[in-house]
Amino acid sequence: MPLGPPSSAIHIQTPSVNQNIPRTPTSITIHPVALFSILDHYLRRKDDQPRVIGTLLGTRTTSYSESSASENEIHVHSSFAVLHSENSEQVAVDMEYHRTMFELHSKVHPKDVIVGWYSTGGEGNLNTYSALIQNFYGQETAPNMAVHVNLSTGLEEGTKAGVKGYVSSPVGVFPKPENCVFVPIPVHLQFERSGVDLLTSTAQLPSSISAQPTSELELLESSLQNVAEMLDRVLAYVRSVLSGEVEGDPALGRYLMDTLGTSTDDLEKGGFTSRLQDTLMFSYLSSLVRSQAEVSSRLALVTS
Amino acid sequence: MAAQSMAAALAATLPAASATPVPVAPTYEAIPASMSKVIDVEAEIPLTSVQLDGLVVSKILKHAREASSIANAHGLLLGLDLDGTLEVSNSFPLPYHVADDEDKSSKSVARYQASMLRSLKEVQADDGVVGFYQASSLGAFFSQRLIDTQAIHQEKLRHGGVVVVHDVSQTARGNPHFRAFRLTTSFLDAYKKFNFSATSLASHQLTFSSILEEIPLKIRTNPLLKLFLGELGKPTHSPLSDATPDQATISALPPSFSSLNLNSGSSTKNLEQIAEVLDNYRTEEGNIGYITRVIAREKAKAEAHIAKRKEENSERISKGTFLKLWWQRKVDDHVSKGLAPLPEEDVSFIAIFEMSGSSKVQQAYRLFRIPNEPSRLESMLLLGQLDALAKSLGETSASSLVKLYGTTAGSG
Repeated sequence: MPLGPPSSAIHIQTPSVNQNIPRTPTSITIHPVALFSILDHYLRRKDDQPRVIGTLLGTRTTSYSESSASENEIHVHSSFAVLHSENSEQVAVDMEYHRTMFELHSKVHPKDVIVGWYSTGGEGNLNTYSALIQNFYGQETAPNMAVHVNLSTGLEEGTKAGVKGYVSSPVGVFPKPENCVFVPIPVHLQFERSGVDLLTSTAQLPSSISAQPTSELELLESSLQNVAEMLDRVLAYVRSVLSGEVEGDPALGRYLMDTLGTSTDDLEKGGFTSRLQDTLMFSYLSSLVRSQAEVSSRLALVTS
Repeated sequence: MAAQSMAAALAATLPAASATPVPVAPTYEAIPASMSKVIDVEAEIPLTSVQLDGLVVSKILKHAREASSIANAHGLLLGLDLDGTLEVSNSFPLPYHVADDEDKSSKSVARYQASMLRSLKEVQADDGVVGFYQASSLGAFFSQRLIDTQAIHQEKLRHGGVVVVHDVSQTARGNPHFRAFRLTTSFLDAYKKFNFSATSLASHQLTFSSILEEIPLKIRTNPLLKLFLGELGKPTHSPLSDATPDQATISALPPSFSSLNLNSGSSTKNLEQIAEVLDNYRTEEGNIGYITRVIAREKAKAEAHIAKRKEENSERISKGTFLKLWWQRKVDDHVSKGLAPLPEEDVSFIAIFEMSGSSKVQQAYRLFRIPNEPSRLESMLLLGQLDALAKSLGETSASSLVKLYGTTAGSG
């Protein structure tokens, strides 16, 4: 799923003659764990730190499509915090810490490599130091290019929470590490549906605390209620079109017909009864097994 | 989060604070006047609930999904306890090693753990181990390894630690499943003695349902995460005016209806697993039965041997007394002749036999090698797995029954 509105930036892929030269990444796919780790790191920052930085770990995939423009995607799987300090005179990154953490991570996820770095604080924080850090990470990921993910926490006034991805390209007559242009590239979110659902539903509660585990029926109920609300909205729209208050949209009408025209006839013809019998059999079997197990464990206690 | 870091700061300064009582501030009623009631240095407040942070939830989910096999997905939970609530704020996965060199791998895991904790501490993350998590499938999480690890933790960790069990199959159906457990005291008692014989189980009243006790589990999202998720879920309108309806609004988190899916397909797999565990249980029962029969046979042999020995003994004693009398006479003769009495070898020989009467059972056991009584732990764990599998099958069928009738409700 794309994160944020589509940007108007043009991504020019220069066709490289030599296949060995790695291409510029065209998009970033990021896992929520990486984002949540960044947020946690930001929460635990020291008072004098305006922003936090860290390393992004993941994999690169290159797919060659027919239209000769190859997709060079970066999948960010996780991230870890890196110590750094910056003031008006200098910036320092704890490289030893970064190496140790990477080694530890590769013990569990041997496939993940360093793909880039993150920082918090929105677009306004892309400065000379960012260019220097980008240069450092470029050395770490060589020969591939490092990507930069900028996460805006939305805590500063006038900013909205969001994620943006960048690649760098050198600028100026003589390439210097502190001179570069951050070119935005699209960022997508990849996630386990159910996990994010759980967190969003928890976040919507006023106390932001939800008890576990929820039963499947409760979930079903909330889903059905959601569908019922949507049907009400559609019904209201259709009624207003019929009464002539709103002009009908033919495209929308076609969508509604496709969606609501689905029949449940197949279920009626025998499918329902056989399915029902199977399900009842499962339910009977499960209670039989459970009672047998219970009896067996009780008997183990008395046979002494 | 803020409360947690405050708790950490307070816990660090508590020894000094306890000497000088915290001044009572009556104006702020929302904040407890003294934090000494909610922070216990000695771990005296019992745990009543476990609270997982959103970060931990997503980390466990990701690890369980990516792990090569379900049993390998385990890691450590980090956090702090405050007023009976164990707040888990971070976690990290543990590497899985092929069990070819048990000693070496456990050492390298320990090294990995120590250096990871040190690294996390450097970036101000929580570094207190409070338990571990384990992924499972279809609710069957009982395993020897889980119990061993938890038993070690319950010895070493403050509050004994908890194990958070995550069910992958439930999550695939759209209902992420987390439960927190702890070993019961009666089980731990039996475990420490390494005694899972039938009599020990009966005296501890142990069945598979009394191995673990469940602690209520809650999930919390911190305000920053809440804000971020809210922002992600907001749909943005496409800048294109002629976009088709499914592209007109773009949202990073579109609503999902996976729980309405009629095909809850894991029933077959569930049944297969039940059959498999039943087979394992039968084999285990067969083993126990065999060992029990061996014990009975060897015991009978030993009894027969002892009875025979007894008979022999009594015979010998009577003979011995005869000998003794004979010796006595001889001694009397010697004494009458003025010679020193000879050592009563035969009598002492008989005396040894009489003494060995009390320890003859042990001797006979050593002679016949009666095996130890079989441990029932394995079969108990298998029964627990069986019960959990059947339970999840029952739950699946119950919800699919509701869905089945639900689909016909509209058309009927």
